[in-house]
This record gives sequence, C-alpha cells and structure tokens, in this order.
Amino acid sequence: MQREQIEQQIRRQTLEARTRRHFLQNCATGLGGMWMATQAQAATPPTPGERQQNPLSPSSPPLPAKVKRVIYLHMVGAPSQLELFDYKPELNALDGKDCPASFLEGKRFAFINGTPKMLGHQYKFQQHGKSGMWVSEQMPHLSKTVDEICFIKTMQTEQFNHGPAQLMVHTGAAQMGSPSIGSWVTWGLGSENSDLPGFIVLLSGGRLPRVGKALWSSGFLPSVYQGVQCRSQGDPVLNASNPAGVSRQRRRQVLDTLEQLNRESHQQFGDPETLTRISQYEMAFRMQTAAPQAMDLSQETADTLNAYGAQPGKESFANNCLLARRLVEKGVRFVQLFDWGWDTHGSNQGESLNHGFRNKCTQTDKPIAALLQDLRQRGLMEDTLVVWGGEFGRTPMRENRMGGTMAFMGRDHSPDAFTIWLAGAGVKGGHSHGITDPVGYTPAENPVQLRDLHATILHLMGFEHQKMSVPFKGLDQRLTGVKPATVVQDLLS
Amino acid sequence: MKPKPRFAALTCFLAGLLGGATLHSVSAEAIDFTNQIRPILQTHCLACHGGVKQTADLSFIHRDAALEVIVEGKPEKSLLMKRVLSKDPDEIMPPPEHGSTLTDEEIELLRQWIEQGARWQQPWAYQPPLQVDSPSVSSDPWCRQPLDRYVLASLDQKQLSPARDAAPSRWLRRATLDLTGLPPTPEAIKRFLQEVSNDGEAAYTSTVDKLLKSPAYGERWASVWLDQVRYADSRGLGADGRREIWKYRDWVIDALNDDMPFDEFTIKQIAGDLLPSPTIQDRVATAVHRLTQTNEEGGTDDEEFRINAVMDRVSTVWQTWQGVTFGCVQCHAHPYDPLQHEDFYRFAAFFNNTADCDLNAELPLLAVPLDPTDNPRASQLDNHIQTLQQSIWERESAALNTPAAKWNVIRNMTATADKETEVAIEKRNDRAEYYTVDTLSSNTEITLTVPLQGKLKRLSALRLTIAPGDPQAAKADSEWGFVLSHVQAALKSQDSKATPVKFTRVIGDEAAPFKNPDDSLNGKTNNGFAAYSRIHYPRTAVFVLESPIEVPNGSTLEIKIRNGVTELGAFPLIAKRGYVAVSDQPIFNPLLNATNLLSDRQQLKEMQEERAKIASSRIPILLERPSHLKRPTHVFTRGLFLTKGKEVQAGVPAALPPLPESNSKETGTQGMANRLNLAHWLINGANPLTARVTVNRVWARLFGIGIVATEEDFGSSGEAPSHPELLDHLALQFQNDLKWSLKNLIRTIVLSSTYRQDSRIRPELQETDTANRLLAHGPRFRMPAEMIRDNALFVSGLLSPQMHGAPVHPPIPGGVWKPFQGGDKWKTPETDDPNRYRKSIYTYTKRSIPFPMFAAFDAPSREFCTPRRLRSNTPLQALMTLNDVTFVECSQALAQKLINLSGDLESQLRYGFLSVTSRQANEIELKALTDLYEKCRQEQTNPLDSMTAVASVLLNLDEIMSK
Repeated sequence: MQREQIEQQIRRQTLEARTRRHFLQNCATGLGGMWMATQAQAATPPTPGERQQNPLSPSSPPLPAKVKRVIYLHMVGAPSQLELFDYKPELNALDGKDCPASFLEGKRFAFINGTPKMLGHQYKFQQHGKSGMWVSEQMPHLSKTVDEICFIKTMQTEQFNHGPAQLMVHTGAAQMGSPSIGSWVTWGLGSENSDLPGFIVLLSGGRLPRVGKALWSSGFLPSVYQGVQCRSQGDPVLNASNPAGVSRQRRRQVLDTLEQLNRESHQQFGDPETLTRISQYEMAFRMQTAAPQAMDLSQETADTLNAYGAQPGKESFANNCLLARRLVEKGVRFVQLFDWGWDTHGSNQGESLNHGFRNKCTQTDKPIAALLQDLRQRGLMEDTLVVWGGEFGRTPMRENRMGGTMAFMGRDHSPDAFTIWLAGAGVKGGHSHGITDPVGYTPAENPVQLRDLHATILHLMGFEHQKMSVPFKGLDQRLTGVKPATVVQDLLS
Repeated sequence: MKPKPRFAALTCFLAGLLGGATLHSVSAEAIDFTNQIRPILQTHCLACHGGVKQTADLSFIHRDAALEVIVEGKPEKSLLMKRVLSKDPDEIMPPPEHGSTLTDEEIELLRQWIEQGARWQQPWAYQPPLQVDSPSVSSDPWCRQPLDRYVLASLDQKQLSPARDAAPSRWLRRATLDLTGLPPTPEAIKRFLQEVSNDGEAAYTSTVDKLLKSPAYGERWASVWLDQVRYADSRGLGADGRREIWKYRDWVIDALNDDMPFDEFTIKQIAGDLLPSPTIQDRVATAVHRLTQTNEEGGTDDEEFRINAVMDRVSTVWQTWQGVTFGCVQCHAHPYDPLQHEDFYRFAAFFNNTADCDLNAELPLLAVPLDPTDNPRASQLDNHIQTLQQSIWERESAALNTPAAKWNVIRNMTATADKETEVAIEKRNDRAEYYTVDTLSSNTEITLTVPLQGKLKRLSALRLTIAPGDPQAAKADSEWGFVLSHVQAALKSQDSKATPVKFTRVIGDEAAPFKNPDDSLNGKTNNGFAAYSRIHYPRTAVFVLESPIEVPNGSTLEIKIRNGVTELGAFPLIAKRGYVAVSDQPIFNPLLNATNLLSDRQQLKEMQEERAKIASSRIPILLERPSHLKRPTHVFTRGLFLTKGKEVQAGVPAALPPLPESNSKETGTQGMANRLNLAHWLINGANPLTARVTVNRVWARLFGIGIVATEEDFGSSGEAPSHPELLDHLALQFQNDLKWSLKNLIRTIVLSSTYRQDSRIRPELQETDTANRLLAHGPRFRMPAEMIRDNALFVSGLLSPQMHGAPVHPPIPGGVWKPFQGGDKWKTPETDDPNRYRKSIYTYTKRSIPFPMFAAFDAPSREFCTPRRLRSNTPLQALMTLNDVTFVECSQALAQKLINLSGDLESQLRYGFLSVTSRQANEIELKALTDLYEKCRQEQTNPLDSMTAVASVLLNLDEIMSK
C-alpha cells in the first residue's frame, strides 16, 4: 500500500515535469501560447503544470490590483438615464416643444423620424447622501447608498441598435465572435475556486438578450474561459446532476474505474492530455456538489432574503443579486447579471416610461441596494467591483416611431451620452464623472468611451489594457480594440 | 543599461563609411531578405512605419516606399543607417521609448543588405510554390509516398528517425475516423487484419478507397468546410431568427462525396449563378455567401448591415481561400502584408452588386426542389423563365420608350400628403418635382394634382418617376426605397366632376423585380412598383390605361399614391420625390398586346405555375442586380461606411497575380470583371495561395496541426511553414497531378509513411517536440465535438444512417432553449424516432444558442469564418459526456447491446472495449471493467444498470475521444 503510494507520487512528479515541458513546447500555437502572452507579465504565475491540469488555476495580475472580482449588472434594453440619474432641469422647460434642428443634424436614429418633440423628466429628482448626488424617485433604496457610488454620466458608444451595442459593452466589438470582458479577466487571473466555473452568468427578466451567448462567449480564447450560465431553477450548471438512478457513490466507482483505464492508456500512448482529462473529471465531480451548494438560497437567513427581496426557487433579479454575492464570496472571478426589459420606447405598456419602466425599477432597486450593503458588511467590498449600466442611453426627445404619436411615453436609443455607475474597490464613492449638455443628449465635458471603461476595469484588476492581448488573425487582439483607450483616472480612489 | 552598444555601433558605422572589412562575424554571403531582414523590420520598424501608421510618410512594407531612406548599394548614404546608428537620443531609431536599439549584428545585416543592393522579396506566401527536386533521404524504402521524402529529409537533418509504423489496427482506427468521422467496428478490424495478412500493403489501399466511398466521408469533411464558411441555420445578430438554408449544407456533403474537384467547388460557390445556364445546384452553391449574419432588430439601418455582410463575404473568401486576414484592410493598409486599403474595396466591388439586402424576407430566394430528382426539370424551367422574362420585359420597355410615345413632361403640379408627412414642389431640370419634407409617416398617401391645361386631348398612359430624396447623394449612399402599394388616378373636370382612370398594366424598369409592379393597381396588397429596399437612381414605371380616355378642356389629373410598406417596425418606405409625364398616343395597348407578347406572357405564366408545383425549400442565394441599377463601390475612409472616398472598380491586389484573361462566357466577362473572373483567379495556377491553404487545411485536420500552424494567417505575421518544401510539393501536386481532387489528396496522405507512424510520444521527443512539428510520430489528438457525439451514438448502435434534410433537434438540457423569438421551437423527437439520433452535422445550429455539447467541445458558433478550432479540456466536457441525456441513452443502449451478445461477461466486456478503442483490452483493463461490473452487481444493481455503469466508463475514456 505504502509502496504503491510512493510509486504513485514519483510517477506524478515525473509527469508534472514532463507536462510542464509539453506545455512550454505547445505554447507557440496552443492554449499555452496565448496564455503565456499575458502571463509573461504576471507577478506570480501558476506553474505551467498547474495551468495544464487546471486552466483556471488562479494567478496574480502583473500590476498591483485593487479589484479581485467583478459583479456586472447589465440592464438589457438600455435604461433611461433621464429618468434615473442625469437630472436636467432645462429639459423639463422644453417638454413638448419641437426638437431643435441642431440636435438632429448628422444623427441616425433607430426609430425617430423627422422632427420629434422634446420630453421632460417623467419622474422627480432629489439630492441624496453627503455627496448630494441626484437620483430620481424611482430608486428610493439605491438613493441611500449614493455615497458608495461613482457615476459616469458621459458614457458613449458607437452603436445604436441593441444587439451590436450589447456586444460593444461586453466584448468591445459590435459583431459576434470576440471574447467577453469576463472571459478576458478569467483568462488573465483564473479562478479562486476550482470547484466552480470562473465566470458565471445569471439571467432574469424572462428573456435571453438578443445576441444570446455571444455576450459571454470566449471568442477566440479557449472555451474554458466562456461564461457559464447558472440557473436558480433546474440544474444550476448544465448536466451537474447525475442521471436518474446513478448515486454519487456509483459515480465515484465509475470515475475510479475510468481513471484506472485512462492511466493505462497514458502508459500506452504517453499523451499528457490524458492526464489533464483525468484531473478535469475530478473537478467535474467536485463541481457537482459545489455548484448546487453555491446556488442554494435556502441557506441564507430570512433577514438576508428579505433585504434582497429574494425567494428561493424563483427566477428573479433579486435572487440573482443574492447569488452574485454568494458566488463572489466563494471566489468566482466574474459574475455577470443580465436583466431583460428596459427598452422603453413607449410603443406598448411594458416598454414605456410610465409603466414598464417603473416595474423594472421596483424589481431592481431594492436588490441592488441590498447587494451593495451586503458586500460592505461582509468585507467583500474591499476587493469587489460592482458595475451597473445598459448598452446606450435614451434620447431627450420623445419617440415618434413611423412618423406618428406613440401610445405611451418613451424615448429612442441614444448612443452619445448615458450613465453607468461603479461601486466598490478602487473607485471613489459619492462621485460623478462627466457632465452632459443641458438636456442630457451629448457630453459637455469628459466623454468616456466604452473602451475607456474597459481599460479602467482592467487597470483596477491589475492589467495594462494594451498589454493584455492575444495574437489572432494577424492582429494583436485586445478588449479595448485598436482605437486609443485611456484609464479614467478621475474615477479611481 | 547595456554596456557596449554605443561605442560598438560607432565603430561599425565608421567601418561602414570606410567600406572596410566588417568587424562582426556576420557572414558576407548574400543576405536573405525574408529570413534576415524582414524580421528586423517587423520587430523594430513596422509598428510606426508599416501599413497602419506611416510615421513621417515612411513605410517598410513596400520596397518603393522604403527607398525613401535607403540608397541601393550605398549604406553610407542611406538615412536608415544614419538613424539606426545615431547617438543622439532624439535621432536614433527605434526611439528609446519604443523599445531596444538594434543589436550590432542586426545593424551589420542591414548594412550588408543595402550594400548588396537592398533586394526585396515578397513574403513567402505571396511567391508561387516552388517545385524542388525531391530530396535524398536516409531510407528510400521508408518513403511510400513522394511527400514522405520531404518529411524524412527534415528528420535526417535533425538526426532523428521516424517512428515505426503503427499496428495495422491503429492505422485503421485513425484512417476510419479521419475519413468517415466514425471508428471501425470490431468486425471491420477483424476483416482488415485478415486482408493485411492476405494482401499486405494492398489492403491499405483498398481500405482507403472503401472509406472514401462511404457517404460518411462527405459528412465528416463537410463539417470542416462549414466552419470556414460560417454555416448556421439562424441569422445571427438582431433576433437570430431561423434561416432555411440547409440545402446548401447538403450541397457541400454531396459535392465532397462526389469528389467535385476543388476548382469547380470554388467556381460554383463564388459565381455559380454567373455560369452560362446555371443549374439549380450551381445556384445553391452561392448560398455560401448568404450565410452572413443579418440584423432583424427593429430600427436597424438596412444598408449598414448589408455592407457588413459584403465585408464579411470579402473577409471569408480571403480567409478561406487565401489564408490571409483581409478584414483589417477595411480600415487601413495591411499592417504587415503588401495589401493596400483600396485593395479591400476593389475586392468588395465583386460582391457589392448582388440583389440581397438586410431584411427579414432574405430575398432573393431560390426554390430548391426537396426531391433532388426534380433538379434537372426545375433548372430547365428556371432558365427558360429567366430568359423569357428578360425578353418580354425588353420588348415591353421598347414599346414604352419609342419616340412615338411622345411623352409630355409635366412642368406644373401641386402635391399634398396625409398624416404627418409634408410635401412640396420644386422645379428641377425644367419639370415639376414633388418631394417630402422632414417627418415620414407610415402608410402616407401622396396626392399629385396635375393641370392638363389643353396639353393633350387624350390620355393613354402615365409615366411616374420616383427619385431619391437627395438624388446626388443617393448614388453613393443610397436611401430607403419605396413601394407604390396602391396608385389611383382620376380626371377632374373644371366643375370638379371626377372620372376614375382605369389602368390595365404597370411596367417597371427591371425584368424580374422582387415585387410585381402590377400590384400597384391592387388596393388589397401592399406590393407594387418598388425600389426595394434601397434607391440609388430615379426609377420609372409606366401605367397604361385600359383604353385612352378623352381629356375635357381644363381638366386636372389627380394621382393618389399610397405608400403602405414599413420595414423593421421603423422605416416607412415612402416615394420621397417624383415627377410625372403623360402620353396621349394610342400606341401602347396594340404594342403590348402583340400576338407574340401575348403568347409569351401566357407561356411564362404556365411555366411559372409548373415550377411552383415542384415542392421546394426556398433558400437565400446570390443574384446580380441588373447592370443599369448597378451599385457603385467606394472606398470607406477609415472603414466607416458613412464616409465614402473615391469610387473603385472590381479588382485584385497588385501584390498577387492579375485576374486571368477571360476568353469565354464560362470564365467571366471581358473588360469589367465579375465574380466569375474572380473565381478563376482563385483557382488559376498562378495564384500562390489557394492550393497551399487548401492542402494545409487538410493536413491540419489529419495531423492536428498545419504545416503552417496559423491556418488563418499565411501572411508575414503568421507562422512560417514547418516544412516549406513539403507544403509546396503538396500544393503543386494537388493542383496539377491530382487535378484538385480532395479525395486523391487525402488518399495520398493517409497512405504515406508519415501518417502511418505510431502515435506514441517518444520520451526523447517529449523534450523537444510535443506539438509534433517535426512529424516524428503519428497524430493523436482529441476529436472534434461532432465526432465525439457521433462516436458515442455509433458504438451504442443508436446512430441513424439517414442523410440530408432539414435540421434536427436532438435532446438538450431543459432551460437552455430560450430563443429571443418565441416562434423558433426546439422540438425533440421521441426515443423511437431516428431523428433523435442523427449525425451531428444535421443538428440545428443557432448562433445565439449553440448546441451545448458542441459549445463545450470547442465547436465554433459560426458567426464568422473559423479556420481552425482550439482544443480545450474542461470539467464541463466531463459533465456533458457523463450526464447529458444523449450520452446517458448511449450508455444504456451500449449496455443493452453488450448484454445481448452471446458469450460470457468477459467476452462482452472485451467487445465493448474493442468497439470504443479499436484495440484489445489488456488484463489490467479487463479486470478494472470486470471489477466495476461485479461491484455493481454485489450492490444489488440489476445486470443492465451494472453494465450501464461499465458503458458509461467506456464512453468517457480518453481513448474514445482521441484519434
């Protein structure tokens, strides 16, 4: 028995030495090569053997980092900044008047046609907190936490249709096929919990975003870095449950036999990939218990559930906020929430500022406030970053789709100025960056591009965005693309 | 701080000036630009002086440009040398903040190179393949195929020996998987071993021939091609709705099974529609270009996404046939390769005149018979219909445009519009034109009031010309078009009495428009004369009266135009500008109703009816717009479609051979080149890339890595070939001796000694060559997703042999299928329906919700061309093959199959192991499986469930997933 153990140990050591060499050799083209490109600058890279056995083994970033984990809350459809955070008293004065021609010159719209009318704020605004941030009455809970929040009022994007614009936010490119920010980060840093995926996606609002999985795709990075969609109903991770009639004990027996046979084939063929496969099966086995545990909200106290408005077993944004906290607590690197239903054109009741929008606010206000408070209480805010935003903003004009008058109050897509906020590690609280023009249509000062936001998030996580690149199709591909991007220093604490 | 360079560099510089002996040990032989100079330029210079940035107007991409700072033969006079040798931190190149200075050796190389005349070479891939004498090798008998000599010669050079031949059964497994995507059955193994002992080597050849004849060959290799051309059954972006285009997938499978030569395969896909009298299948092939994404989201700019699709066609053709990343040339010259910004748009011009746009209807569609035996009849009908349509339209147009029509241009009229649309009148070119102002409301009706003022006594026809709102800008930029959903007219006498004008025909300005102009007379449809969906030029239709009517003096003509179509829930298609002419000549009806026209129209109608009876799948294809409506192509400044630069004509980059001259209709047009000329350029022997890229792709699928590892990039930023001479040999052999036959190419490779090698990774090579770039052992790597799934279905006996047809919906985990459009249903067949167990290639491919099993095993989601797949190894893969419904059903079926075998447990287990691994289990393996079975039985599990546990092990073996 003992001898067997010793033999096994020796075998493992030789193997590891061999796999390390294999890995370095494989660098030029394989997964290794890409990863090494970044890791060349890493302070304490995992040994190549570790990465071969577990591509998600954690590593430190090349530069000092304040943020270790990210929770990204995406309000799918683009919430109106003019009904939430960007207070413009002059807009109210213009309500109902024809839009000045200068606003329309050279602009393309999704639905506005000809000359629309200006539309004042649909809700009251008030100043909150010590910082005196303006927030509308639709976010009563969040208003109490503004001193933790850093607003960017002048976000800009190049796209004014949902699909391409959502891709821009998450992959830095308007077309499907590039890695998402969560994939980049997980690729660069691995995950602190090897029993769970490093990048987890949670959906609410009843619909998948229109470009679907392309928003959490690993693009040209290895697929191990793609976002894994977890659910609060059914299997938390696809196929995490054993088939009917297969007990955990039986599974163990199967895996033991499988390992034995795989070691035999490794003896025969000498392929290091076989050893990797053995370790992946072991990780899968652990994930089968770790994932359901992580996703089990019934383990939370009634107080916590109440604070979030979460109800175990339901699919809701509130549940997802609470799950996000549970997941980052367990070391998941990137948790991405998508909440569908924010596209307030005014074309029907659900998509209107005076109805559907209020429901969305009610569904999200309390959970987000609870999430921020919960993270703070548990000390997770020290190294977690929370990001909130949509894919573009909304026009200060009322939409007049097809040259007619809409049944409900609504605004068209507006890519030139929208609000995104950050909270948590590394960013100033109670701060507002950038000022829009008097009607909240374009930046008056300090415009921020999505690539600047990406550069800033990467900076907070210890990466220089220009150096985080992968050679692919003849170019050094990076999240921030080819146009110049800058870290927004003013946001940093 | 580096200690020495400053002084050394100066010494070197002086030495250079004196033209004296070199101080460094750089050989004085001829400098090789490709291997010695280009890497220096690439590493140190191109970032600032390349294709993208050309700081100080200097670029080292082309020799001409570089000669700005190089004086041939005179290093001492060359600014380049002065700058790299400078001591002044403001002068020296590269500047200190941009990286390290050149080494002395590099500087000396540059000096010698300039001294020798600064000879330049195109990057290797842009030069034609070279046939070199086949090299002499250490062992002639080892070389079963000519290609083996190149491999062995390179091993000889490194003093390595190749691996021994793999055992026959190992070769059989490898070849069967590679050629058919499935493993050999135990019976096939037995048979082959018998044949080998009877016939020796001949057994290999006959087996390869047999495998190549299997229909599974086409299915296996189609999946490789479909990755290149981004095949999917959905539209991508926007709403990612379903797209019916599977007939193209079947076309690829059949073309491969028929071993259609790759040159023909190319011509049909690039320009099948332009061949003389194309068949249905020729036109199906062009669907390859309609696999681009469309954006059905409301409020999207149709033209923007049409252009995106054209750009993607350009990039995909380059990536797939030329192995060059062309996409970056959209915005600027290529950063490293000799491709100019304008080259992209010249190339785009080949694809910019097709009739498709970015709308949900996906027009133009081709009705492809569901039953292929109907193809010849349908092809013939289509060609007749097209010819007849053209001829009828030409004769009708001639009748309308004859001088005898005496068209009377209206110079005065008034206009009104309803809803929020406003119209005004202006005089242009001496005629009255109405135009819309500002807002355009859906379903707007425009009313034109035309005083006829004694101009004519009779009215026989009305000519309506609809122009873009801004006729000048629209030529390049185009505007949303129009559909005249309903056109009515009435004559109003002075006392306001209205007499309706009855039209009988509407004849438009193209032979086969998407929408029937006559529908403008039918108030019940929204169709009619249209510029659909965009307008570049004024468009004209003639409305012919049933019979000429008298025009009382002082009458006005009132024309009402209803614009009933709105696209994408946002864009009303409104006739934004228009003018009118009238005729009083009673010539139209007699001309249009001439006997031959009447009978031709009748014949056309009959043929169209006959064609409509053939049950068909309607798929998007390519169709060229008529030449008088041709879209111009412009360079986009910095790649932005809204900022157009100069107009360009179709052409190919100067760095590559020119378009071959066309001498017949089968090879393209003379003068203005079209896609057919382009297709012939791709497969012309002078094109240095097509054959190399194609053989490299085949090689990579067989060996796991290409001779050029970066299959997607043969340019100077890609990797150099590991065996350049082997690559050129194969490329030349493929396009010459093998006549572009993929089957022959594959046969040659799998019968080679290189491929036959044992795959065991030898310890001495694990140190130096694990990726097997030296080809010192046979290939072993994890199979692609489709093969892993198909193998499990096959060994368990569940796989359906059914080929072709509409995509199927095998089981997926609950909760995955939440399509953005609720109508797109995933309806999984029951367990007794073979469609549940079809080959993976028939699985419905939706871009926004990839099939989970494929996504877990690195299959691309097919948004864009994917030249090669990465191979990952993850816990989610393990969960998939352990727990996914299909794999669970496979292990149950395999268990049942084993239990049903006659014989004892040992023979059942041996058979199972042999089925999945193609080799006999050894004693340890057999014992492990037996132990598991016994343990399950001891725990009161019934025999089937116990065997299912065993089967689950078998289906998860590393070996079942590996070649």
